[in-house]
Amino acid sequence: MVDNNVILLVDPFYAACIHLRKHNYDKCIECCTGILLKNPYDQATWALKMRALTEQLSIDDIEAEEEGIADSYFNSDAIAENARIGTSLRSTPNSCNQRPRTIDGRPLSGIVRPSTSSAGGNNLQKALKTPRTVGSSRPLTSQLARNIRLGTASMVSQMDGPFINISRLNFSKYASDKQLSKLLFNYIYYQQNDIRNALDFAVEATKCCFFEDPWWKVQLGKCYVMLGLLRDGESQFRSALQHGPNIEVFLRLSRLFVRLDQPLSSLDICQQALSWFPNEVTLLIEMARIFEGLNNISMSVKYYRDILELDATDMESIACIGLHHFYSDQPEVALRYYRRLLQLGLYNAELFNNLGLCSFYAQQFDVVTACFENALRLALDYNAAEIWYNISHIAIGFGDLDIAEHSLHLTLSLNSSHGAALNNLAVLQWRKNDVARAESLLNSAIAAEDHLYEPHYNKALLAQEEGDHQTSYVMLKKSLEIYPNHYNSRDILNKLKKYFSSL
Amino acid sequence: MAVPLFSLQLRHSIIPRLVTIGKYDGSHYCVTAATSENKILIHSPHKPEKDISYLNINQKITALLAGKAIPNDEKDILVVGTVGSVLAYNVDLNSDLFYKEIPDGVAAISIGKLSSMKDPAIIIGGNCSIQAFDYKGNEILWTVTGDNVRSIIVMDVDLDGSNEILVGSDDYEIREFKDDIIVNEISETSSICSLIHFSPGRFAYALDNGTVGVYDKFRRVWRVKSKSSVNFLEKYDLDGDGKEELITGWSNGKVDARNSITGEVIFRDVLSTSIAGIVVGDYRRAGKCQMIVISTTGEVRGYDNTSLKVESGVQTNVVHDLLQKRQILMAELNNYTKASHEGHGIPGDTRLITEVSVSEETIDPCVLLKLSTNNSMILKAVTIFAEGIFEDETQVIHPKRDNVSSELNISLIPPKDILLDIHIRAFVGSSVDIDQFHVFELTRQLPKFSMYLLVNYPENEDVLQSYVKFRLVERVQRLDLWLSQNFIVPQTTPVKSDGQHFWKIAIKSLRDSSLTCITFEKEMMSIFSENINLTADIIQSLASYLNLDQIDSLAEFPKVLDDLWRNMQTVKTLQQNSIKLNTSIADSSTLLKNLIVQAEDFRLLNDVFNMEKCLNEIYLIDKQMIQNHQVTCENHEQLLATLKKINTIIQNASRIRVNNNKTEIITTYRQAVASENMTILKKLIESGNK
Repeated sequence: MVDNNVILLVDPFYAACIHLRKHNYDKCIECCTGILLKNPYDQATWALKMRALTEQLSIDDIEAEEEGIADSYFNSDAIAENARIGTSLRSTPNSCNQRPRTIDGRPLSGIVRPSTSSAGGNNLQKALKTPRTVGSSRPLTSQLARNIRLGTASMVSQMDGPFINISRLNFSKYASDKQLSKLLFNYIYYQQNDIRNALDFAVEATKCCFFEDPWWKVQLGKCYVMLGLLRDGESQFRSALQHGPNIEVFLRLSRLFVRLDQPLSSLDICQQALSWFPNEVTLLIEMARIFEGLNNISMSVKYYRDILELDATDMESIACIGLHHFYSDQPEVALRYYRRLLQLGLYNAELFNNLGLCSFYAQQFDVVTACFENALRLALDYNAAEIWYNISHIAIGFGDLDIAEHSLHLTLSLNSSHGAALNNLAVLQWRKNDVARAESLLNSAIAAEDHLYEPHYNKALLAQEEGDHQTSYVMLKKSLEIYPNHYNSRDILNKLKKYFSSL
Repeated sequence: MAVPLFSLQLRHSIIPRLVTIGKYDGSHYCVTAATSENKILIHSPHKPEKDISYLNINQKITALLAGKAIPNDEKDILVVGTVGSVLAYNVDLNSDLFYKEIPDGVAAISIGKLSSMKDPAIIIGGNCSIQAFDYKGNEILWTVTGDNVRSIIVMDVDLDGSNEILVGSDDYEIREFKDDIIVNEISETSSICSLIHFSPGRFAYALDNGTVGVYDKFRRVWRVKSKSSVNFLEKYDLDGDGKEELITGWSNGKVDARNSITGEVIFRDVLSTSIAGIVVGDYRRAGKCQMIVISTTGEVRGYDNTSLKVESGVQTNVVHDLLQKRQILMAELNNYTKASHEGHGIPGDTRLITEVSVSEETIDPCVLLKLSTNNSMILKAVTIFAEGIFEDETQVIHPKRDNVSSELNISLIPPKDILLDIHIRAFVGSSVDIDQFHVFELTRQLPKFSMYLLVNYPENEDVLQSYVKFRLVERVQRLDLWLSQNFIVPQTTPVKSDGQHFWKIAIKSLRDSSLTCITFEKEMMSIFSENINLTADIIQSLASYLNLDQIDSLAEFPKVLDDLWRNMQTVKTLQQNSIKLNTSIADSSTLLKNLIVQAEDFRLLNDVFNMEKCLNEIYLIDKQMIQNHQVTCENHEQLLATLKKINTIIQNASRIRVNNNKTEIITTYRQAVASENMTILKKLIESGNK
């Protein structure tokens, strides 16, 4: 009987291994804890548990990299403060205002990525205010970015204190153990997110293998980048590349130069990497993103097209090309791309919203309502405002101003600092001859998003009508500051100048 | 006063010497300067709306230069040297060419084609070391030099069609490197802070003590000395005669232009504050270049040959000068008539006798210069002019009235072992009371090793364990000649010799009273000394005197090896410390950033209590960071000092033998030091190869 039981029970260590392979981390940890209770010195189990704990939380930190508010505001890594336009991700070119901007003032992208939300870091007050009002989740600093927020969940599960007490670890002993050292490092880096100790550990470990293991060099570089010592990180990555090309290292190096605000160096590195790994999609995506950040949309779309040739299911590329077609007045083509996304199984409010807009502009009015109904059905608080805003657009297009006004009110109820909605509402009020309300709405639009030129222009028009030439002049100046080639603003400004000189 | 062509204000304080000009887009000149906030300011006059842009460097900037480094590219790149790194940066594309950690620091940068290379190289000088990189950041040259490098230029000094490197350093030497072999050395009287080349084969230099001069090949053409110090040297054809003048910017705000051949001043202007830099570029888009002067307060003035007007005051100046001359001559004549009337002259056969000896009896052992007259005439005062011995080149000895006699002892302590000319002017008169003296002028030479005393050869020879041995086929008489030329030899020479095969001397250093023995026996030269520097000097001096191209010596310096090993260990620990300190500083600074953002957040929410908490924490971390920073600074200074020691040891070790492939040896040394391979290092020092 006893013997049978033994046979029936799987060896707990084997069970733990199987659980890990099945990504059944909780069970794996449970098994390991059981074994460790019996024999606390079982190194294999210890390592396995460490691995399970790490993998539970490890994230793709190349993709999830995000610059926090503090980093972008106190950024002093970028060398050039005001570099030539087209060589920096910070200086947004404002000459070609084709695309609307995000709430932070960056041109809209086809896909929401962690780094697309980062602003130029010009105004701390605004940067702090934005996430609170919009509910976009921008972390304070990169070190405490997504990694730690995803990581906090684990603390609850470890009821009897932390699994490994890092401060009491003998670094030099474990660093010399080639089997354990890498697992332990990953545990410290990903699970504990204790970058300083991870760095100390990596320094010990790389010494133990006589500075010849590129893996440790990459880890050192990662730690340095996390700590903000970008130049040290660069030298580690470059020295890792001496051992042989590696896509991950190239990508990290490229990201590092994006943080140094040297996009052209990044592109250079990607080109170099492409010579080793031709047609590598991750590298092409990186390049397409950098071009988009530089507002070089044609190059960006070219790379996205190349990606689609290689990987026809890449959603980011489809979305970005679709967006490009939409804003270059080809809604029919854009519609095809968005339908492709729908075919790929994407089913969310944003997609239906875009489909609705495209079909409206492509004059397929029959599906517009259905699309927006679907969008509203799927919408959550954070994106419903935009959908209502778009519905207001459609309503204006159909000539139903009442629905438009209602939609805009709904937008504002969901997001009170939606500058474009405020502006449009003001115009509608003005049409109803409610000038006082229109003016106050325009003022709040300017206060909410000062990178839009439309509220300034509208206010100038309003002031002009009321005979307040001085305000009109000031507002036109501001409008032209944001969009120097705005024809109408220029026109009125010239008229005003003529009028002033005739006085 | 000269009339500037244009002037403008940068409204920034500029660090002296850190000024350059570059055509970053290939066509427009931009003045570039380092500001006191560790930023680089680029002034682009062709962009009227945004004419000033900044580059963040975040480390103390120590050198700055713009130049063409990429082959077949018209665009200038900017090379920025800081205390711990060098950055080559393409301003137009906003991208790095390369970034390198330089633990030695960067004190001087030059860009130019070296003799054996096709493309221009970026040459940087730091703490005893010289490195060159190509535009991709590959190291193409590394060598050591005597002391901290202060200035570097690339030019063709010997007119052989290929460029050499000229390096001015803190040990008062200008060295000429061909690739990485020292071909020539010039000793100056102070640290060489600036060098600039004129064609052909002529270059100008400036010293810390305010001297400016011009060398033609290795002969000094002229020099002047001023009380204020030189901040910048530049060359510019101001008078339009086709020859470039030497433009000097002084720390007291003066700018002057001198003829490079005669040293005559042809232009002068004064700015309100110290000159930070002078550059030459076309700032008015006039088709030809102007000279642009930038002061430390950010005042910019441009000049060209229209600023150089013939001043109407010249003629009155001449009259004034002539009048002054007449007055002096009148006074002289007056003196002579007075002297002949009163009979206070000195006998016609009065002569001044000088005697140089090495003395140990004085309080500080020194070289003793004894002056006396051959009769009872007294020496009222003596001025001695010698480069590099005294603080200000000249010393005046003026005995008290009671002590005036016909004999005067002067102690000299040359700080370095070099050949010295001493110019003596003695005031000789018949008695103390008269006010007319005859001036005797004479020049004496101090030999190279004047600070060493020849002593009797010690009886027991095996006192010293460190030695250098090499084969030498030479007659003993030639060695005697070498000795008499390079040492102060007393009348009774303590040389132990049989005149044929056997020659032994012992010398004692007056600086640390250490003993060095040189023996020549059976065609074998041996030098026993603890001091590797002195040994190297003696070997180099012997080699040049006896015209030896090759000395392959065997050496044994256990103490030096120990020292090297110890220093290498220190460097290792110091570097580890600095990594730890840097991470802790980076960590605290991230924390600080968070706290500041949080404090700001609380302020916006009107949560004063929490804001105060945040700010208090910021204060504490700040204090801690300042402490950390001090530790880092000390650590860095120690590191620099140790690296300098290692570099000096390597240099001396390479100098204890003479051959043509010094480069290779220095490179091997460096690799051995980097890999801490003591066995190779030992072999290298012992026999000169692996």
